[in-house]
Amino acid sequence: MTPPAAITADATEIEPTSRDKARRRLNRMTEAETPRLRRAEWLTVAASLLWIAQAAAAAWVIDDLVSGPPDLPTALYGSVSFVLVGILRAVLSHRAGSIALAAAQAAIAGERETLLHREALRSPYSGGHQNSAEIATLAADKLAMTLPYLTRYRPAMARARIVPAAIILAALPFSWVAAFILLVAGPLIPVFMALVGMAAQEASERQMEEIGSMNGLLMERIRALTDLRLLDATARTISDFRHSAERLHRKTMKVLAVAFLSSTVLEFFSAIGVALMAVYVGFSLIGQITFGAWAEPLGVGEGIFLLLLAPDFFQPLRDLAATWHDKAQASAVAVELEAIETAPFVPMLGMAHTPKAGPVPATLAIRSLRWTSPSGKGIVFPDFTLAVGQSLAIVGPSGSGKSTLLALISGLARASRGAVLVDDVPLDDETAGGWRRHIAFVQQTPHFAHESLRANLRRFAPEASDDDLRAALSAASATDIVARLPRGLDTRLGATGHGVSGGEARRLTIARAFCSNARFILADEPTADLDAETARAVTEGLMVLKARGASLIVATHDLELAARMDHRITLGDAA
Amino acid sequence: MRPLLRIACRLIGEEWWPLLRGTLLAVAVLAAGVALLGLSGWFITAAGLAGLAGAGLLFDVFRPSAGVRFLALGRTAARYGERMLTHDATLKSLARLRVELLEALSKNPFSRLANLRAGEQLNRILRDVDTLDGLVLRLIIPFAAATLALIGALVALWLLVGLSLAVWVLAGFGTGSVAALAVVIVRARKPARQAFSAQNALRLRAIDLVAGRGEWLVAGETGLRTDHALAAERKLRDAFVDADRAERMSGLVMSITETIVSGGALLLGAWLVIEGKVDPAVAAIGFFATLALAEILGPIRRGLAELGPMTDAARRVTRMLDAPQPLVAPSAATTSRSSETILSFESVSFGHAEGARILDRFSLDLAAGEIVALTGASGAGKSTILQLAARMHRPTGGAISLLGSPIETWSETELRGQAAFLPQRSALLAGTVRETIRLADPQLDDGAIWALLSSVALDETVAARGGLDMRIGEAGSGLSGGESRRLALARVLARRPRLMLLDEPTEGLDRETALRVLSGIHRHMRANGAILLASHRAAEREFATRCHHVAAPASV
Repeated sequence: MTPPAAITADATEIEPTSRDKARRRLNRMTEAETPRLRRAEWLTVAASLLWIAQAAAAAWVIDDLVSGPPDLPTALYGSVSFVLVGILRAVLSHRAGSIALAAAQAAIAGERETLLHREALRSPYSGGHQNSAEIATLAADKLAMTLPYLTRYRPAMARARIVPAAIILAALPFSWVAAFILLVAGPLIPVFMALVGMAAQEASERQMEEIGSMNGLLMERIRALTDLRLLDATARTISDFRHSAERLHRKTMKVLAVAFLSSTVLEFFSAIGVALMAVYVGFSLIGQITFGAWAEPLGVGEGIFLLLLAPDFFQPLRDLAATWHDKAQASAVAVELEAIETAPFVPMLGMAHTPKAGPVPATLAIRSLRWTSPSGKGIVFPDFTLAVGQSLAIVGPSGSGKSTLLALISGLARASRGAVLVDDVPLDDETAGGWRRHIAFVQQTPHFAHESLRANLRRFAPEASDDDLRAALSAASATDIVARLPRGLDTRLGATGHGVSGGEARRLTIARAFCSNARFILADEPTADLDAETARAVTEGLMVLKARGASLIVATHDLELAARMDHRITLGDAA
Repeated sequence: MRPLLRIACRLIGEEWWPLLRGTLLAVAVLAAGVALLGLSGWFITAAGLAGLAGAGLLFDVFRPSAGVRFLALGRTAARYGERMLTHDATLKSLARLRVELLEALSKNPFSRLANLRAGEQLNRILRDVDTLDGLVLRLIIPFAAATLALIGALVALWLLVGLSLAVWVLAGFGTGSVAALAVVIVRARKPARQAFSAQNALRLRAIDLVAGRGEWLVAGETGLRTDHALAAERKLRDAFVDADRAERMSGLVMSITETIVSGGALLLGAWLVIEGKVDPAVAAIGFFATLALAEILGPIRRGLAELGPMTDAARRVTRMLDAPQPLVAPSAATTSRSSETILSFESVSFGHAEGARILDRFSLDLAAGEIVALTGASGAGKSTILQLAARMHRPTGGAISLLGSPIETWSETELRGQAAFLPQRSALLAGTVRETIRLADPQLDDGAIWALLSSVALDETVAARGGLDMRIGEAGSGLSGGESRRLALARVLARRPRLMLLDEPTEGLDRETALRVLSGIHRHMRANGAILLASHRAAEREFATRCHHVAAPASV
């Protein structure tokens, strides 16, 4: 397998701009929902076009008033049609909104699901995107920022494409000058918008980066508040944070200034368009302008109709401008998504679902196993074979690859060469799940789920009773820890086990391995953070497991523990 | 509602002048919009009338057309100014609010700091503050501006067209807005709140899933945990759809109201013309101005939809600002503080309120020049003794004094200057090695930093990986467990304290490195200083001038 470092960008390929990438990524996101989104877009276009009918009804009423003699039935019919068409228009756009929302949510849910399924399998020992909090924020929060793009921007875009053209066609039969005014004022808008939009996109991407880094900055500082206080660095940290908050404010204002400028440009043109239309129609009506209308001079009703159409000619374009930021935001999210997806990705071995446990393997062996770190450093591991029931110590100085070897054996990391053999079958995606049913892993930095200690202890043995848990706690010399916790087994520990000391957290994770019936126990520094007496007790506990027939594979600095194992391999310079 | 008002007062109070100018500009924008459409309608109808009467040449076209152009351009300019002013002012006070929240958070007692769930707190600071930007921008200013503009427009309609039209517009928009508001308040509050908690659940579960992925895979729980997170996502979707449906319904009510009121204004104007009370051009003003007024109400409706989330955010934010402040130790700088006894514990007891007693009548004196190793089984209370000496907890009995003065009388800065504590787990911040060490003392130059690194046996590692500019990732990633621990130790040594409190300083190091680090610690010990360490390693015990055995309190 190619080492991850080699999968980075191919320099010879022409780099597509980030805008293209964002667009393609967003299209891919909505592929499955295109029919529904289209339907919503057509409904909102239809709703907008109904305004032409409303304008005609209102113009008819006013024309009747001016050309007189006015009569009540005309006014009544005209006004009632105006209202009825208006209600139909409101209902159509309401319907369009619901359809668009349903489609958008389905599209976002699909992305979330894919992202979480994928990232849940990313090997913690490979390169690529390793910041869990950032990935979780992307899945939980940032993906939702594409919602306004789908429910507001895209319908606005559809309206902007069709409605202005339809209004020009509606104006044309009455006056070619009116149509011409709109035709000239209209296309200028997209040109300006495109310019302003490009600037906004860039500014918004920079702002997104800043928000991301500020989130990271703040999250870290909150986690480190205890340390900061002990170092008397709180005041300095807060003033640093004040500077970043101010920086963010300045950047945000830059983005907003550009965004506001784009809508100002639009408003300017639409205001000029409406004013020109009003002036043209007014001058025609009093006879100072005689050209433009086809045969007859322009009538009052026609004039009012044209005046009522003018603002709605520009409205779709203004709506589009108002949601331009939504597109910029969605594109920035798409770029981030794309960056995570195209970063080197090495999955852990095996699938998310767990196959049934097969028969207990008789042997575990590694053959010419080599691992390449994301930075390109290679580690070659010595071969060994271990029969079930035997024990192995992995020793060596810090950084020599002890933890990595345990990760390779459990399939959490992928070897660049060689193989881990379980019953002489190489460990791969097919076999890893079955093999893991037989192992329990005491990791160096335990992760406690946000649930009770009881649930955490049952991780490898879901059926364990409280009695089983007590026996396991006692074997791991951890009974006193639980006794001291305010709510015993019902206590919730923080993600990194806050509420207990390092040694205590370790003993709890050992107890977790004890209550499993796993036949292979992998333990990373099981006696670290423990005093000699407790370390000895934990060692004895491990030996009890071995006596029950389990294999032990222990990475350790503790020579006393290493001496109790049947075999030993030494990593690092001695290898 | 009260927290919302408090936040509103705060946000407005700090930046009232730009906000007031912004609001006046907003009123100008709305008024110009209504006037523009009304004037245009009048202009065309009146021009038509004049044309029909053959009096076209007598009709003054220039003033109305100049008015149309002035209103069109003035509105555009006012809009830009209004937006820049109000956004700048609001975002500025929100940034200040964020900083203040972090400050309030940092003042929590240590026992609460340890239990802060970083994700949740961050969420509050960032998300809730973000939510609150709508309070001024999308609720208060549009509401104030719309009310003023509406009153002005109604008075104008009354004077120009007649009281009946003004009453119709007021009654129509009034009823419609109240109905739309009722829909939002009654039907959107609950789902909006549900959506918020589902969003939080999704975030926590997503972090849990990704951060613990190795563990889930080994335990065969990856699928289960993914489903767990996706269940929160489904709940979020459902709640969001409900909230959105209520908002959309209120929007529908509002659009229908607008249509009925405008249609009614058209009919009413026609009737007034037929009755001979007004001329058609004035009736046109009524209709066109009503059409424009409908646009005023749109922004308020969108603002009201955010009322629920904003109220919740304001409640959480104020609760955090009011979080109980720890008792700040009074600085009684009168005592000598140059005692030969660096630290003394006099029959100190400690226990958490709910749990068993952790320390029982413990006594210890630490003289200048001494290195004392606390020994004893895990759980005997060694770490607790160090935490008490670092004043992270208050003892439940007995007295602790530092340099001859009771520990409670020290100010925070003085105390941290004299006593530095290396806890069992330290947090490293992302940044360069230089920045990491300078966190302890911003004055350190590169030479001093290298000396510190060499004392903790990290100089070679750092030199090999890019020197002091070597980057450390989030939470010390990129370093092994032993390396990040030694870097945290270097940070403590950089403080040059009289009293060093070290909780298992050489944990996880091989013996050779451990000895090197211990001699480094010794080099940094001040001649009149002392070290207290919790230890279970032979190397550390040999390093100490004296061992002190800590026995766990008898079980209750």
